Amino acid sequence: MSKPTLLLIDDEERILRSLRMLFFVGYNVRMTIDPYEAIRILREERVHVIVSDQRMPVMQGSELLRIARETSPATMRILLTGYSDLDASIASVNEGEVFRYLMKPWNGDEVKKVVAEAASIAEASFAVRTHSDMAVELTGAKPRVLIMDHDESTAITVHETLGDRCDIIWASDAQHAMEELAKQDISVVVSDLMLGATNVGYILKTIKQLNPQTQCIVVTSFSDTSRLIELINQAQITRFLPKPVSKGILARNLESMLERFHIVRAQPVLQKRQAVAPISDPQEQVQAGNFLGMLGRLRARINA
Amino acid sequence: MNAMNEANPVGSEIFSLINAIDAVSPDSPLEELAELFASPEYANLLSLPVVENGRPVGVISRYRFMDIYLKRYARELYGKRPIRNFINDKPLLVELDQPLSEAAQHVAANMKFPLTEDFIVTRRGRYLGVGFVMDLLKVMEQKMRANTDELEKAYTQLKSSQMALVQSEKMASLGQMVAGVAHEINTPLGYVQNNVAIGQELFLQIQSMMAEYEALVDKLLNDQASEEQVAVQMQLVAEMRNDVNTQEMLGEMHGLMSDSLYGIDQISELVLNLKNFSRMDAAANDSMNVNDCIESALNIGRNVLKNKVEVVKELGVLPKISCAPSQLNQVFLNLFTNAAQAMEAQGMLTIRSWYAEGSVYISVEDNGKGIPQENLTRIFDPFFTTKPVGEGTGLGLAITHQIIHQHGGEIRVESQVGEGTRFSIKLPATSSETVQPILKAVAA
Ligand SMILES: Nc1ncnc2c1ncn2[C@@H]1O[C@H](COP(=O)(O)OP(=O)(O)OP(=O)(O)O)[C@@H](O)[C@H]1O
Ligand SMILES: [Mg+2]
Repeated sequence: MSKPTLLLIDDEERILRSLRMLFFVGYNVRMTIDPYEAIRILREERVHVIVSDQRMPVMQGSELLRIARETSPATMRILLTGYSDLDASIASVNEGEVFRYLMKPWNGDEVKKVVAEAASIAEASFAVRTHSDMAVELTGAKPRVLIMDHDESTAITVHETLGDRCDIIWASDAQHAMEELAKQDISVVVSDLMLGATNVGYILKTIKQLNPQTQCIVVTSFSDTSRLIELINQAQITRFLPKPVSKGILARNLESMLERFHIVRAQPVLQKRQAVAPISDPQEQVQAGNFLGMLGRLRARINA
Repeated sequence: MNAMNEANPVGSEIFSLINAIDAVSPDSPLEELAELFASPEYANLLSLPVVENGRPVGVISRYRFMDIYLKRYARELYGKRPIRNFINDKPLLVELDQPLSEAAQHVAANMKFPLTEDFIVTRRGRYLGVGFVMDLLKVMEQKMRANTDELEKAYTQLKSSQMALVQSEKMASLGQMVAGVAHEINTPLGYVQNNVAIGQELFLQIQSMMAEYEALVDKLLNDQASEEQVAVQMQLVAEMRNDVNTQEMLGEMHGLMSDSLYGIDQISELVLNLKNFSRMDAAANDSMNVNDCIESALNIGRNVLKNKVEVVKELGVLPKISCAPSQLNQVFLNLFTNAAQAMEAQGMLTIRSWYAEGSVYISVEDNGKGIPQENLTRIFDPFFTTKPVGEGTGLGLAITHQIIHQHGGEIRVESQVGEGTRFSIKLPATSSETVQPILKAVAA
């Protein structure tokens, strides 16, 4: 099999020269400081993984990745940036739908590992039809939508938008959410980051481990860039909508996430594209461990 | 006598109008008034209150007194007579706990023109002091403008709290700056670190290669070594030599080392800039060339300006001036940031400086979207911003204005919507004035 192609974009050439050294063996490395050149390469060649800087003179990285998503959907998208600003990270989720958000200065081994994982996922994705030309099958069990948000307006919008097609559960606390997760898989989660006084980050991170098909929308007024980056990498949230969010926007995103769920359910190979990184926060690791343990026991009891 | 010095007992609106004036007795001789009216203590009074047993019995006005006393032989004729014979025994009376509007109505209805008398304030009929009709009217007028006043008051309060905000603004823009600089540093740090890590790996490979070479040489020199042993070692070395990747990586290494040195230079420069810039030497009164402040602010604001703004500098020869450099840095950073934010796409920022007649002049001009006429007078107001909530504090120019003012300078703005904006600053070059340490003022 031929080597996977890796495309590197950064406005600082020294970054490119340096990064390339990590991929000397095993990759066909293409690099450029010009995002338009990158788009041309994406169009003309089969690129497995694209790694882009965020802040560039002519185009933001998240914008380039959005274009990459349209031009070459199978390509895995990674952002490598030294600038953690909230807008950039929100754009990288919502528009770039990045696989990983990595920071400069980077850890060589980690970057190599992430790129290798991305390359093998891309390899598999290229082998199946891409989602754009695939008819979505609406068969299978009725999708279940879990709301973890005390905000009534969120619940109302979810009901109005998806009420006719989905079972909708409005969880009042972490315990309730867990009971619902124990009963049956969840298709779409709409969650704030805080449920009352509980930080539900660990639940979001666990849900994806439980069922990789689940699509996760975060709706919150809470904005902390480093936490958002964690959620991108470790929960693969697919949308991040800052509150207050308009009904129209939430509705539109709900629709597209439900559709995404159907696509992913029909094409299991695509699930891998949303594979999560391990939880990094030690406290959350413990919380997630307990959560999974309790969930296991609950499931056993329900199935008994 | 009835000096009035107890605290406002009933929360009365009238209370603030009272002037504690010693009243005169109706039995005092008229000639006494000549002295009293002339004394500075009574200078503001139109009339004197006349009080008997704690109760007001009337007033005698300056006007009336003059009228009598300036007559020929009046002093001799009337001087020893008691005041009682000359008073107006129907004075304007206001009760302390009367509503202000009612009192005003009463006074307005009963006062005579020309206004010759003050009114008397009583509490349950007992004398408290004298009130001036003008004051009463003023208070009434103010009450009617209550809304406007509230605003004005709020404004004054804002102005005084601005001092405290200077610090938070400093922190906020420092925060932004740090975020920006962090990016600037993380980029070179990224490749320098990676290059060094790769260099280390390669170095280990070279070390083991060297060892194999040495082993080969040893074997060649050693008579005891068999042909076969030499051949095996030769083979090993040849394989290593043919490892294309290592060869290629080695070839790259030289370039990577130069890159790394360059990156380290960049980092040091940024750190130096940051250090110079954020020196919280508000109190220190340095002698400084303003051009250096401009350069420093440009450096630190590089992140905001980069990729978006073409900077044109026309900096003249300037004398050093006495100033707080970190404050001037702040001024320029604010102006540059605003200019960059006013540009929809690419734009041009022209910075000029020159010296003339004892002053240093700086102009900061952009070709951004401009400021509408109706906003021009408000942009220096604290909290005035046209930026979305969370993006602008509206303090940038207020603080800028304050700093320039404290340096004894002036700042002006001209703008044309759609064409651009120019801020002009004038700073005295021969200022002996000390610059107020802003942060000290906050602490006080
Ligand atoms: N160069 C400029 N061009 C156009 N408008 C400007 C310019 N400079 C200032 N303004 C206007 O003046 C307003 C006040 O500026 P100021 O620096 O005080 O606050 P701000 O920039 O809105 O907030 P902050 O400085 O906290 O980011 C701005 O919101 C903007 O409307
Ligand atoms: Mg500003």
